[in-house]
Amino acid sequence: MKVVVNADKCEGHGKCEKAAPAVFKLGDDDVSRVLVDDVPESQRGQVDAAIRLCPRQAIAWERP
Amino acid sequence: MTAETALTLADINLNDETLFESGLSHEAFRILRRENPISWTPAEERIKGHWNLVKYEDVLQVSRHPEIFSSERGIVQYEPINPEDATQAANGNGKMLITMDPPRHVKLRRLVNKGFTPRAVAAMEPHIRQITRKLLDGIAAKGECDFVLDVASQLPLAVICGMMGLEDKDWPLMFQLTNKVLGAGDPEYQTDVPEDQRGTDEAARATGNMGTMQMFGFFAQQLMNRKEHRREDLISLLVDSELDGDRLSDEDILWFCFLLILAGNETTRNGISGGLVSLFEHPAERARLQADMSLMPSAVEEILRWVSPVTHMARVALEDTEIRGQRIAQGERVVMWYPAVNRDEDVFPQAQRFDITRTPNDHLAFGIGEHFCLGAGFARLEMRVMFEELFTRFPDIELNGPVERLRSTFIGGIKHLPVRFSPER
Repeated sequence: MKVVVNADKCEGHGKCEKAAPAVFKLGDDDVSRVLVDDVPESQRGQVDAAIRLCPRQAIAWERP
Repeated sequence: MTAETALTLADINLNDETLFESGLSHEAFRILRRENPISWTPAEERIKGHWNLVKYEDVLQVSRHPEIFSSERGIVQYEPINPEDATQAANGNGKMLITMDPPRHVKLRRLVNKGFTPRAVAAMEPHIRQITRKLLDGIAAKGECDFVLDVASQLPLAVICGMMGLEDKDWPLMFQLTNKVLGAGDPEYQTDVPEDQRGTDEAARATGNMGTMQMFGFFAQQLMNRKEHRREDLISLLVDSELDGDRLSDEDILWFCFLLILAGNETTRNGISGGLVSLFEHPAERARLQADMSLMPSAVEEILRWVSPVTHMARVALEDTEIRGQRIAQGERVVMWYPAVNRDEDVFPQAQRFDITRTPNDHLAFGIGEHFCLGAGFARLEMRVMFEELFTRFPDIELNGPVERLRSTFIGGIKHLPVRFSPER
Protein backbone atom coordinates (compact mmCIF):
# COMPACT_ATOMS: atom_id res chain seq x y z
CA MET A 1 0.00 0.00 0.00
CA LYS A 2 1.15 3.50 -0.82
CA VAL A 3 0.84 6.52 1.44
CA VAL A 4 1.03 10.15 0.28
CA VAL A 5 1.67 13.49 1.96
CA ASN A 6 -0.09 16.53 0.55
CA ALA A 7 2.80 19.01 0.39
CA ASP A 8 0.42 21.97 0.04
CA LYS A 9 -1.08 21.19 3.43
CA CYS A 10 1.93 19.90 5.38
CA GLU A 11 3.33 22.48 7.80
CA GLY A 12 6.10 20.40 9.30
CA HIS A 13 4.64 19.42 12.64
CA GLY A 14 6.50 16.14 12.44
CA LYS A 15 3.90 14.01 14.19
CA CYS A 16 4.07 11.49 11.33
CA GLU A 17 7.82 11.12 11.73
CA LYS A 18 7.34 10.31 15.41
CA ALA A 19 4.48 7.88 14.76
CA ALA A 20 6.10 6.05 11.84
CA PRO A 21 9.82 6.90 11.68
CA ALA A 22 10.57 4.29 9.00
CA VAL A 23 7.96 5.79 6.67
CA PHE A 24 8.09 9.59 7.09
CA LYS A 25 10.97 12.04 7.28
CA LEU A 26 10.68 15.79 7.70
CA GLY A 27 12.74 17.61 5.07
CA ASP A 28 14.76 20.81 5.50
CA ASP A 29 11.86 22.64 3.87
CA ASP A 30 9.52 21.61 6.73
CA VAL A 31 7.59 19.25 4.47
CA SER A 32 7.29 15.57 5.30
CA ARG A 33 8.53 13.03 2.73
CA VAL A 34 7.44 9.42 2.32
CA LEU A 35 10.50 7.17 2.43
CA VAL A 36 9.03 3.97 1.05
CA ASP A 37 7.03 3.10 -2.07
CA ASP A 38 5.15 0.29 -0.46
CA VAL A 39 4.42 0.43 3.26
CA PRO A 40 5.20 -2.99 4.77
CA GLU A 41 2.33 -4.74 6.53
CA SER A 42 4.13 -4.38 9.86
CA GLN A 43 4.12 -0.57 9.64
CA ARG A 44 0.55 0.00 8.50
CA GLY A 45 -0.70 0.52 12.05
CA GLN A 46 1.91 3.23 12.59
CA VAL A 47 0.90 4.93 9.36
CA ASP A 48 -2.76 4.80 10.38
CA ALA A 49 -1.73 6.56 13.61
CA ALA A 50 0.17 9.19 11.62
CA ILE A 51 -2.87 9.79 9.40
CA ARG A 52 -5.04 10.21 12.45
CA LEU A 53 -2.64 12.48 14.33
CA CYS A 54 -1.56 14.81 11.53
CA PRO A 55 -2.66 18.29 12.64
CA ARG A 56 -3.29 19.34 9.04
CA GLN A 57 -4.78 15.97 8.00
CA ALA A 58 -2.32 16.05 5.13
CA ILE A 59 -1.65 12.28 4.91
CA ALA A 60 -3.73 9.63 3.18
CA TRP A 61 -3.49 6.14 1.77
CA GLU A 62 -3.38 6.37 -1.99
CA ARG A 63 -6.48 4.87 -3.49
CA PRO A 64 -5.71 2.30 -6.17
CA MET B 1 -21.04 18.55 43.52
CA THR B 2 -22.35 21.26 45.77
CA ALA B 3 -26.00 22.26 45.65
CA GLU B 4 -25.47 25.46 43.66
CA THR B 5 -23.69 23.62 40.84
CA ALA B 6 -26.30 20.87 40.50
CA LEU B 7 -27.10 21.48 36.84
CA THR B 8 -29.53 19.26 35.00
CA LEU B 9 -29.93 18.68 31.28
CA ALA B 10 -33.05 20.83 31.19
CA ASP B 11 -31.18 23.86 32.60
CA ILE B 12 -28.42 23.87 29.99
CA ASN B 13 -28.49 26.73 27.51
CA LEU B 14 -25.31 27.04 25.50
CA ASN B 15 -26.41 30.44 24.21
CA ASP B 16 -26.06 31.75 27.76
CA GLU B 17 -22.73 33.57 28.02
CA THR B 18 -22.92 33.63 31.81
CA LEU B 19 -22.64 29.82 31.82
CA PHE B 20 -19.07 30.31 30.61
CA GLU B 21 -18.38 33.37 32.76
CA SER B 22 -19.27 31.38 35.89
CA GLY B 23 -17.14 28.38 34.89
CA LEU B 24 -20.16 26.04 35.02
CA SER B 25 -19.78 25.14 31.34
CA HIS B 26 -17.58 22.11 32.06
CA GLU B 27 -20.34 20.56 34.14
CA ALA B 28 -22.86 21.37 31.41
CA PHE B 29 -20.67 19.65 28.82
CA ARG B 30 -20.19 16.60 31.06
CA ILE B 31 -23.97 16.21 31.23
CA LEU B 32 -24.39 16.72 27.49
CA ARG B 33 -21.69 14.17 26.59
CA ARG B 34 -23.50 11.58 28.68
CA GLU B 35 -27.14 12.43 28.14
CA ASN B 36 -27.43 14.25 24.82
CA PRO B 37 -24.26 14.14 22.71
CA ILE B 38 -25.89 15.87 19.75
CA SER B 39 -28.29 18.47 21.02
CA TRP B 40 -30.24 21.08 19.10
CA THR B 41 -30.36 24.63 20.38
CA PRO B 42 -33.60 26.03 18.97
CA ALA B 43 -33.82 29.39 17.26
CA GLU B 44 -34.30 32.39 19.49
CA GLU B 45 -36.01 35.61 18.59
CA ARG B 46 -33.30 36.86 16.24
CA ILE B 47 -30.87 33.96 15.81
CA LYS B 48 -31.10 30.60 14.07
CA GLY B 49 -30.84 27.29 15.86
CA HIS B 50 -27.77 25.05 15.73
CA TRP B 51 -26.45 21.57 16.57
CA ASN B 52 -24.03 21.20 19.49
CA LEU B 53 -21.15 18.74 19.13
CA VAL B 54 -19.54 17.68 22.40
CA LYS B 55 -17.96 14.32 21.46
CA TYR B 56 -14.37 14.08 20.19
CA GLU B 57 -15.13 11.77 17.25
CA ASP B 58 -17.90 14.08 16.01
CA VAL B 59 -15.62 17.12 15.98
CA LEU B 60 -12.98 15.04 14.15
CA GLN B 61 -15.54 14.10 11.52
CA VAL B 62 -16.58 17.69 10.90
CA SER B 63 -13.00 19.00 10.91
CA ARG B 64 -11.89 16.38 8.39
CA HIS B 65 -14.56 17.34 5.88
CA PRO B 66 -14.28 21.05 5.07
CA GLU B 67 -15.90 20.24 1.70
CA ILE B 68 -19.10 19.35 3.57
CA PHE B 69 -18.85 21.59 6.62
CA SER B 70 -18.16 25.11 5.40
CA SER B 71 -16.54 28.01 7.25
CA GLU B 72 -17.68 30.63 4.77
CA ARG B 73 -21.00 31.40 6.44
CA GLY B 74 -19.40 32.29 9.71
CA ILE B 75 -17.53 30.39 12.38
CA VAL B 76 -19.44 31.52 15.43
CA GLN B 77 -22.52 30.02 16.97
CA TYR B 78 -24.77 32.97 16.24
CA GLU B 79 -26.34 33.21 12.82
CA PRO B 80 -28.81 36.08 12.73
CA ILE B 81 -32.14 35.45 11.03
CA ASN B 82 -32.09 38.96 9.55
CA PRO B 83 -28.85 40.05 7.88
CA GLU B 84 -29.17 43.52 9.43
CA ASP B 85 -28.57 41.90 12.81
CA ALA B 86 -25.12 40.74 11.70
CA THR B 87 -22.03 42.47 13.04
CA GLN B 88 -19.44 44.19 10.86
CA ALA B 89 -17.12 41.23 11.46
CA ALA B 90 -19.58 39.02 9.54
CA ASN B 91 -18.59 40.94 6.40
CA GLY B 92 -15.35 39.00 6.65
CA ASN B 93 -17.10 35.68 6.02
CA GLY B 94 -15.34 34.05 3.08
CA LYS B 95 -12.54 36.64 3.16
CA MET B 96 -10.27 35.48 5.99
CA LEU B 97 -8.31 32.24 6.32
CA ILE B 98 -10.52 31.29 9.24
CA THR B 99 -13.75 31.88 7.27
CA MET B 100 -12.60 30.43 3.94
CA ASP B 101 -13.09 27.02 2.36
CA PRO B 102 -10.79 24.97 0.13
CA PRO B 103 -9.31 25.35 -2.41
CA ARG B 104 -8.66 29.07 -1.85
CA HIS B 105 -7.96 28.57 1.84
CA VAL B 106 -4.81 26.53 1.42
CA LYS B 107 -3.45 28.88 -1.27
CA LEU B 108 -3.87 31.92 0.93
CA ARG B 109 -2.44 30.07 3.91
CA ARG B 110 0.67 29.15 1.94
CA LEU B 111 1.53 32.83 1.49
CA VAL B 112 2.39 33.07 5.17
CA ASN B 113 2.72 29.61 6.68
CA LYS B 114 6.50 29.29 6.32
CA GLY B 115 6.76 31.83 9.12
CA PHE B 116 4.80 29.56 11.43
CA THR B 117 6.43 26.14 11.02
CA PRO B 118 8.06 24.50 14.06
CA ARG B 119 11.49 25.46 12.69
CA ALA B 120 10.56 29.12 12.18
CA VAL B 121 8.95 29.28 15.58
CA ALA B 122 11.93 27.69 17.34
CA ALA B 123 14.19 30.41 15.92
CA MET B 124 12.08 32.98 17.77
CA GLU B 125 12.70 31.48 21.22
CA PRO B 126 15.52 33.84 22.30
CA HIS B 127 13.43 36.85 21.27
CA ILE B 128 10.37 35.53 23.12
CA ARG B 129 12.42 34.80 26.23
CA GLN B 130 13.85 38.31 26.17
CA ILE B 131 10.37 39.88 25.98
CA THR B 132 9.19 37.62 28.81
CA ARG B 133 12.09 38.58 31.07
CA LYS B 134 11.50 42.26 30.45
CA LEU B 135 7.83 41.89 31.37
CA LEU B 136 8.75 40.10 34.59
CA ASP B 137 11.32 42.85 35.34
CA GLY B 138 8.39 45.23 35.23
CA ILE B 139 6.48 43.51 38.04
CA ALA B 140 9.41 42.17 40.08
CA ALA B 141 9.63 44.94 42.68
CA LYS B 142 5.88 45.26 43.18
CA GLY B 143 5.17 41.88 44.74
CA GLU B 144 1.70 41.87 43.22
CA CYS B 145 -0.02 42.63 39.92
CA ASP B 146 -2.95 41.87 37.66
CA PHE B 147 -1.33 38.97 35.84
CA VAL B 148 -3.56 39.35 32.77
CA LEU B 149 -3.00 43.06 32.22
CA ASP B 150 0.68 43.18 33.19
CA VAL B 151 2.02 39.87 31.90
CA ALA B 152 -0.22 37.32 30.13
CA SER B 153 -1.67 39.77 27.62
CA GLN B 154 1.61 41.55 26.97
CA LEU B 155 3.75 38.67 25.68
CA PRO B 156 1.51 37.51 22.80
CA LEU B 157 0.68 41.12 22.02
CA ALA B 158 4.38 42.00 21.69
CA VAL B 159 5.06 38.92 19.54
CA ILE B 160 2.24 39.40 17.02
CA CYS B 161 2.61 43.18 16.88
CA GLY B 162 6.34 42.67 16.28
CA MET B 163 5.66 40.22 13.43
CA MET B 164 3.24 42.70 11.88
CA GLY B 165 5.71 45.55 12.25
CA LEU B 166 3.54 47.68 14.54
CA GLU B 167 5.25 50.27 16.71
CA ASP B 168 5.23 49.91 20.52
CA LYS B 169 3.03 52.96 20.91
CA ASP B 170 0.19 51.20 19.05
CA TRP B 171 0.20 48.01 21.13
CA PRO B 172 -2.16 49.28 23.86
CA LEU B 173 -4.66 50.26 21.15
CA MET B 174 -4.44 46.76 19.66
CA PHE B 175 -5.14 45.28 23.10
CA GLN B 176 -8.10 47.58 23.60
CA LEU B 177 -9.61 46.90 20.16
CA THR B 178 -9.11 43.15 20.48
CA ASN B 179 -11.12 43.27 23.70
CA LYS B 180 -13.88 45.21 21.98
CA VAL B 181 -14.15 42.76 19.08
CA LEU B 182 -13.75 39.47 20.94
CA GLY B 183 -15.16 40.63 24.28
CA ALA B 184 -18.04 42.58 22.74
CA GLY B 185 -20.61 40.79 24.91
CA ASP B 186 -18.86 41.68 28.16
CA PRO B 187 -20.07 44.93 29.78
CA GLU B 188 -16.51 45.79 30.87
CA TYR B 189 -15.53 46.43 27.25
CA GLN B 190 -18.75 48.19 26.22
CA THR B 191 -17.21 51.56 26.98
CA ASP B 192 -18.67 53.24 23.86
CA VAL B 193 -22.18 52.52 25.11
CA PRO B 194 -23.91 54.54 27.86
CA GLU B 195 -23.55 52.78 31.19
CA ASP B 196 -27.26 52.05 31.67
CA GLN B 197 -27.44 50.27 28.30
CA ARG B 198 -24.50 47.90 28.79
CA GLY B 199 -25.05 44.16 28.93
CA THR B 200 -27.67 44.09 26.16
CA ASP B 201 -27.48 42.44 22.72
CA GLU B 202 -27.49 45.91 21.14
CA ALA B 203 -24.54 46.97 23.31
CA ALA B 204 -22.62 43.87 22.24
CA ARG B 205 -23.26 44.53 18.57
CA ALA B 206 -22.33 48.21 18.85
CA THR B 207 -19.12 47.36 20.72
CA GLY B 208 -18.07 44.70 18.20
CA ASN B 209 -18.83 47.01 15.29
CA MET B 210 -16.92 49.91 16.82
CA GLY B 211 -13.89 47.70 17.49
CA THR B 212 -13.96 46.25 13.97
CA MET B 213 -14.22 49.64 12.27
CA GLN B 214 -11.46 51.15 14.41
CA MET B 215 -9.27 48.17 13.61
CA PHE B 216 -9.86 48.68 9.88
CA GLY B 217 -9.07 52.39 10.16
CA PHE B 218 -5.83 51.62 11.93
CA PHE B 219 -4.71 48.92 9.49
CA ALA B 220 -5.67 51.00 6.45
CA GLN B 221 -3.06 53.53 7.60
CA GLN B 222 -0.51 50.77 8.18
CA LEU B 223 -1.20 49.41 4.71
CA MET B 224 -0.71 52.81 3.03
CA ASN B 225 2.53 53.19 4.91
CA ARG B 226 3.83 49.73 3.84
CA LYS B 227 2.94 50.37 0.22
CA GLU B 228 5.33 53.30 0.31
CA HIS B 229 7.97 51.75 2.55
CA ARG B 230 8.26 47.97 2.67
CA ARG B 231 9.63 46.49 5.88
CA GLU B 232 10.51 43.05 7.15
CA ASP B 233 7.03 42.27 8.39
CA LEU B 234 3.88 40.31 7.59
CA ILE B 235 1.96 43.31 6.22
CA SER B 236 4.74 44.04 3.70
CA LEU B 237 4.82 40.35 2.79
CA LEU B 238 1.09 40.44 2.05
CA VAL B 239 1.46 43.61 -0.05
CA ASP B 240 3.92 41.78 -2.33
CA SER B 241 2.06 38.46 -2.38
CA GLU B 242 0.15 37.02 -5.31
CA LEU B 243 -2.61 34.45 -5.37
CA ASP B 244 -3.46 32.78 -8.69
CA GLY B 245 -1.41 35.48 -10.43
CA ASP B 246 -3.19 38.42 -8.80
CA ARG B 247 -2.07 40.74 -6.05
CA LEU B 248 -4.20 40.58 -2.91
CA SER B 249 -6.76 43.37 -2.76
CA ASP B 250 -6.53 45.98 -0.03
CA GLU B 251 -9.63 44.47 1.50
CA ASP B 252 -8.05 40.98 1.52
CA ILE B 253 -5.00 42.37 3.31
CA LEU B 254 -7.06 44.29 5.86
CA TRP B 255 -9.08 41.19 6.75
CA PHE B 256 -5.83 39.25 7.03
CA CYS B 257 -4.48 41.85 9.48
CA PHE B 258 -7.75 41.76 11.43
CA LEU B 259 -7.46 37.98 11.81
CA LEU B 260 -3.74 37.99 12.66
CA ILE B 261 -4.01 40.57 15.40
CA LEU B 262 -7.08 38.97 17.03
CA ALA B 263 -5.95 35.37 16.79
CA GLY B 264 -2.40 36.27 17.68
CA ASN B 265 -3.01 37.96 20.96
CA GLU B 266 -6.29 36.91 22.57
CA THR B 267 -5.93 33.12 22.54
CA THR B 268 -2.40 32.81 23.86
CA ARG B 269 -3.21 35.38 26.53
CA ASN B 270 -5.90 33.05 27.82
CA GLY B 271 -3.70 29.98 27.47
CA ILE B 272 -1.17 31.66 29.76
CA SER B 273 -3.59 33.07 32.31
CA GLY B 274 -5.85 30.00 32.22
CA GLY B 275 -2.76 27.84 32.63
CA LEU B 276 -1.68 29.72 35.72
CA VAL B 277 -5.16 29.39 37.22
CA SER B 278 -5.15 25.62 36.46
CA LEU B 279 -1.83 25.27 38.28
CA PHE B 280 -3.11 27.32 41.24
CA GLU B 281 -6.12 25.00 41.41
CA HIS B 282 -3.96 21.85 41.31
CA PRO B 283 -1.17 22.48 43.84
CA ALA B 284 0.21 18.93 43.70
CA GLU B 285 0.64 19.11 39.91
CA ARG B 286 2.15 22.56 40.25
CA ALA B 287 4.67 21.32 42.82
CA ARG B 288 5.58 18.43 40.53
CA LEU B 289 6.20 20.86 37.68
CA GLN B 290 8.26 23.28 39.76
CA ALA B 291 10.37 20.38 41.02
CA ASP B 292 11.06 19.20 37.47
CA MET B 293 10.73 21.87 34.80
CA SER B 294 11.58 19.33 32.08
CA LEU B 295 7.89 18.35 32.37
CA MET B 296 6.97 21.73 30.87
CA PRO B 297 6.17 20.58 27.30
CA SER B 298 3.65 17.98 28.46
CA ALA B 299 2.33 20.40 31.10
CA VAL B 300 1.64 22.92 28.33
CA GLU B 301 -0.31 20.27 26.38
CA GLU B 302 -2.37 19.44 29.46
CA ILE B 303 -3.04 23.13 30.06
CA LEU B 304 -4.22 23.45 26.46
CA ARG B 305 -6.54 20.46 26.90
CA TRP B 306 -7.80 21.72 30.24
CA VAL B 307 -8.26 25.39 29.33
CA SER B 308 -9.23 25.12 25.62
CA PRO B 309 -8.82 28.88 25.04
CA VAL B 310 -11.10 28.85 21.99
CA THR B 311 -14.49 27.65 23.17
CA HIS B 312 -16.12 26.91 19.85
CA MET B 313 -16.00 27.06 16.07
CA ALA B 314 -19.08 26.65 13.90
CA ARG B 315 -19.58 25.21 10.41
CA VAL B 316 -22.55 25.12 8.04
CA ALA B 317 -23.46 21.88 6.23
CA LEU B 318 -23.30 22.29 2.44
CA GLU B 319 -25.31 19.11 1.86
CA ASP B 320 -27.56 16.77 3.81
CA THR B 321 -25.34 14.62 5.99
CA GLU B 322 -25.23 12.65 9.22
CA ILE B 323 -23.27 12.81 12.47
CA ARG B 324 -23.60 10.06 15.12
CA GLY B 325 -26.76 8.87 13.37
CA GLN B 326 -28.34 12.32 13.55
CA ARG B 327 -29.43 13.76 10.22
CA ILE B 328 -27.96 17.21 9.60
CA ALA B 329 -29.78 19.09 6.85
CA GLN B 330 -28.09 21.25 4.23
CA GLY B 331 -27.79 24.79 5.57
CA GLU B 332 -27.82 23.81 9.23
CA ARG B 333 -25.12 25.03 11.57
CA VAL B 334 -23.01 22.75 13.77
CA VAL B 335 -21.01 24.06 16.70
CA MET B 336 -17.86 22.26 17.83
CA TRP B 337 -17.35 22.78 21.57
CA TYR B 338 -13.63 22.31 22.22
CA PRO B 339 -13.64 22.30 26.06
CA ALA B 340 -16.25 19.53 25.82
CA VAL B 341 -14.35 17.25 23.43
CA ASN B 342 -11.10 17.80 25.30
CA ARG B 343 -12.62 16.15 28.38
CA ASP B 344 -14.36 13.35 26.48
CA GLU B 345 -14.24 10.30 28.75
CA ASP B 346 -14.18 7.98 25.69
CA VAL B 347 -10.85 9.44 24.57
CA PHE B 348 -8.99 10.68 27.64
CA PRO B 349 -8.61 8.23 30.56
CA GLN B 350 -9.53 10.04 33.79
CA ALA B 351 -10.56 12.96 31.63
CA GLN B 352 -11.56 15.08 34.64
CA ARG B 353 -8.07 14.83 36.11
CA PHE B 354 -5.49 17.56 35.43
CA ASP B 355 -2.30 15.56 34.83
CA ILE B 356 0.79 17.41 33.59
CA THR B 357 2.38 14.19 32.34
CA ARG B 358 -0.65 12.92 30.41
CA THR B 359 0.48 10.79 27.45
CA PRO B 360 -0.85 10.57 24.82
CA ASN B 361 -2.63 13.91 24.84
CA ASP B 362 -4.20 14.43 21.43
CA HIS B 363 -6.40 17.33 22.46
CA LEU B 364 -8.17 19.47 19.88
CA ALA B 365 -7.51 22.86 21.47
CA PHE B 366 -6.03 24.03 18.14
CA GLY B 367 -8.61 22.23 16.02
CA ILE B 368 -7.43 19.75 13.37
CA GLY B 369 -7.24 19.55 9.60
CA GLU B 370 -7.79 22.35 7.09
CA HIS B 371 -8.14 25.05 9.75
CA PHE B 372 -5.62 23.79 12.30
CA CYS B 373 -4.42 26.86 14.22
CA LEU B 374 -1.66 28.50 12.21
CA GLY B 375 -0.16 30.01 15.35
CA ALA B 376 -0.13 26.81 17.44
CA GLY B 377 3.67 26.72 17.54
CA PHE B 378 3.86 30.27 18.85
CA ALA B 379 1.20 29.60 21.45
CA ARG B 380 3.07 26.53 22.73
CA LEU B 381 6.41 28.32 22.79
CA GLU B 382 5.09 31.46 24.50
CA MET B 383 3.33 29.37 27.15
CA ARG B 384 6.39 27.22 27.84
CA VAL B 385 8.82 30.15 28.05
CA MET B 386 6.44 32.16 30.22
CA PHE B 387 5.97 29.39 32.81
CA GLU B 388 9.68 28.54 32.82
CA GLU B 389 10.65 32.15 33.51
CA LEU B 390 7.77 32.84 35.89
CA PHE B 391 8.32 29.86 38.20
CA THR B 392 12.09 30.31 38.17
CA ARG B 393 11.78 33.90 39.22
CA PHE B 394 8.65 33.92 41.40
CA PRO B 395 8.32 30.35 42.72
CA ASP B 396 5.86 31.39 45.42
CA ILE B 397 3.41 33.24 43.13
CA GLU B 398 -0.17 32.78 44.35
CA LEU B 399 -3.70 33.97 43.79
CA ASN B 400 -4.48 37.31 45.44
CA GLY B 401 -8.18 37.89 44.71
CA PRO B 402 -11.04 36.71 42.54
CA VAL B 403 -10.45 35.45 38.98
CA GLU B 404 -12.70 37.41 36.60
CA ARG B 405 -13.76 35.52 33.50
CA LEU B 406 -14.94 36.90 30.17
CA ARG B 407 -18.65 36.80 29.35
CA SER B 408 -18.35 34.96 26.04
CA THR B 409 -19.35 31.68 24.41
CA PHE B 410 -16.48 31.99 21.91
CA ILE B 411 -13.35 32.78 23.93
CA GLY B 412 -12.52 31.13 27.25
CA GLY B 413 -11.09 34.38 28.51
CA ILE B 414 -9.78 35.66 31.81
CA LYS B 415 -10.00 39.44 32.21
CA HIS B 416 -8.34 39.85 35.59
CA LEU B 417 -6.09 37.61 37.65
CA PRO B 418 -4.71 39.22 40.80
CA VAL B 419 -1.50 37.54 42.00
CA ARG B 420 1.14 38.17 44.67
CA PHE B 421 4.69 36.91 45.14
CA SER B 422 7.85 37.73 47.07
CA PRO B 423 9.15 40.92 45.48
CA GLU B 424 12.71 41.25 44.25
CA ARG B 425 14.65 44.04 45.93
